Amino acid sequence: MSKSRAHIWFVSPALFLMFVILLLPILVAFGISFTSFSLGNSGAEFVGWKNYEQIFTRSTYEKMFGATFRYVLTVVPLTVALGLGAALLINSLTRFGDLYKTIYFLPVMSALIAMAIVWEFAFHPTIGIINSTLERGCGTFLENWGWYAQGCEKTFPLWLTNRDYAIWTVSFIGVWQGFGFNMVLYLAGLTGIPKELYAAAEMDGAKSGWERFRLITWPMLGPTTVFVVTISFIRSFQVFDMVEAFYPQGGGPSKSVYVMMFAIYEKGIQQNLMGVGAAITVVFLLFVMFLTVMQRWLVERRTHYV
Amino acid sequence: MSNIRLNTITKKFGTTDVLKGVDLDIDDKEFVTLVGPSGCGKSTLLRILAGLEQPDEGQVIIDGKNVTSMRPADRNLSMVFQSYALYPHLTIRQNMMTPLKLRDLSTSQRLPLIGPFLARKEYKELFSQVDRTAKILKITELLDRKPGQLSGGQRQRAALGRAMVRNPLAFLMDEPLSNLDAALRVHMRAELTQLHQRLGATFVYVTHDQAEALTMSDRMAVMMHGKILQYGSPEDIYQNPANVEVAKFIGSPAINILSASVNDYAQICIQNLILDLFAPTQEPNITIGARPEHLTFCDDNPTALTGFVQHIENLGADLYYHVKIKDEQRPLIVRSAAGNGKRHQIDDLVHVKFDLNSTLAFAADGTRLQTHRKLMDELAS
Ligand SMILES: Nc1ncnc2c1ncn2[C@@H]1O[C@H](COP(=O)(O)OP(=O)(O)O)[C@@H](O)[C@H]1O
Ligand SMILES: [Mg+2]
Repeated sequence: MSKSRAHIWFVSPALFLMFVILLLPILVAFGISFTSFSLGNSGAEFVGWKNYEQIFTRSTYEKMFGATFRYVLTVVPLTVALGLGAALLINSLTRFGDLYKTIYFLPVMSALIAMAIVWEFAFHPTIGIINSTLERGCGTFLENWGWYAQGCEKTFPLWLTNRDYAIWTVSFIGVWQGFGFNMVLYLAGLTGIPKELYAAAEMDGAKSGWERFRLITWPMLGPTTVFVVTISFIRSFQVFDMVEAFYPQGGGPSKSVYVMMFAIYEKGIQQNLMGVGAAITVVFLLFVMFLTVMQRWLVERRTHYV
Repeated sequence: MSNIRLNTITKKFGTTDVLKGVDLDIDDKEFVTLVGPSGCGKSTLLRILAGLEQPDEGQVIIDGKNVTSMRPADRNLSMVFQSYALYPHLTIRQNMMTPLKLRDLSTSQRLPLIGPFLARKEYKELFSQVDRTAKILKITELLDRKPGQLSGGQRQRAALGRAMVRNPLAFLMDEPLSNLDAALRVHMRAELTQLHQRLGATFVYVTHDQAEALTMSDRMAVMMHGKILQYGSPEDIYQNPANVEVAKFIGSPAINILSASVNDYAQICIQNLILDLFAPTQEPNITIGARPEHLTFCDDNPTALTGFVQHIENLGADLYYHVKIKDEQRPLIVRSAAGNGKRHQIDDLVHVKFDLNSTLAFAADGTRLQTHRKLMDELAS
């Protein structure tokens, strides 16, 4: 080995930028999370674990975790399943595949803030298209369904402002917006499956589509699925703009839609409680870190075929 | 018991005719090779036989039963693919189990975890079937590896194993050796032939390599442009090609083709050389074909062609001389055993004579012309 130090000079700009842009802010946030720092206030005190204690004891934060996990655990399975389903259907088409791809991908490309306005209209209790459509169904066989009959008798739910429905309504919009992205990832994954494998399965006696899916498609999509699931988790943990657009104040009815990103924003920016905001950020980062580590582990362990 | 018949199979992809009415008869326990340049429709024909592709017209008949519209899974044929098409996420054992499980077990017996528990006896039988096949192919120690951890030759064996494990009516193979290196390919040729004898099964083998076809098959079908040009034993096709395309495709180095003419006495003439060979044809212009081993060096005489040695290929046992003849574009290739007589050098003046018993004549349209050593024969007939 020569004693040249040139390599250090080559990697140092990248290392420097990585440190300044990625690691330093995290370290700073970690530091702030132990203080009562707020912008403009010169004196910040070291408060130890107090901020974290708050997060794990106060009922506001219990609601925050509740809303976040409800959202994440509905949106992730549904976007993954719908993304896979749409990809399989589109892949089996001989014509119009591109048209469907575009249609399903449109919500991903559109700005959620703008879409939120449209949805707000749609879900409006009196003039919204959803409830007026539901009212049309009154008096038909649909009334056999208890929930429906109740809606006809009184009113249909105030989707976005009822505390029992709000988080599920927001989740629904999250699914609508997100599954096209997963579909595109799955479509890419499907093109990587050699056609000959299906021919081999056919020769081996896999007659039904389900058998071929079990034998080839699903296992071959393993690496894609790990990636899609991780990305979906991270994306749904990060949900913010929709909540901000629907509920600029306070995170929805009884804080039922008070997701983590919104909590960080509210505490850190709106209320200028940087210490608490930073602490939530650190908890958030831990979740994301955990998911990423899980993904790496799965990719290296199970789904690596070559 | 399985003889296979293909009846006037035609197939179009879009506007291109890939198969133009192919007939093929395969006897039970026969090793039949489909050979032809790439793109001539061999794979398509094999896939139609397998059921992976539907013919536009014609029938596939196995054991007298029309199976044209039957699913591949129901035809009980097995196939070895060029890319092997092993399931990459399964071990070799699981790969070999797959066809057995899909065929011999019910849906509930195939369930993960519970299935093997419910049907312990059946699974035991299947496992021993896999072990027996693995032993024949000498891949027992590879059974717990995944395809990605095997070399090309081992994968090839594993693919054979998956095809063999369930006693199909016939084996279909689409260029199974073309991803192997040259030495292994020659070795596998011998092994496949032995396997064929041992299993006593029907093999339909597709290749673009005429050497594989010649060495392995009982009968071979030479395909070009979506048609079978000739179907027969390797010896027959080598010695008696039905037309000039078959003659050119089979044999390496390729047969020497020379333009020739027929004079008024039906004698074949090359340039101003009159051969002692007669062809009954009205056409004045024909071509003749002579394989490198049917040409020999001789002293200057009126029935020999004269030229210069242009290039010498030394293959150890044999030497191939490329002899440039005046007015001929391509050099004549002459085989000579290395120990045989005098060695010629490059630029030597040499004389080449034909083995008239083996020299082939073709009409202008490429069809074979019968030749005779005496005009008398022809007059008598
Ligand atoms: N699925 C397909 N769609 C369109 N053209 C095809 C398809 N499969 C094969 N072909 C065409 O048919 C011809 C014959 O193909 P193939 O049977 O694979 O030839 P070979 O195996 O003899 O090399 C080729 O010209 C190929 O391009
Ligand atoms: Mg082919």
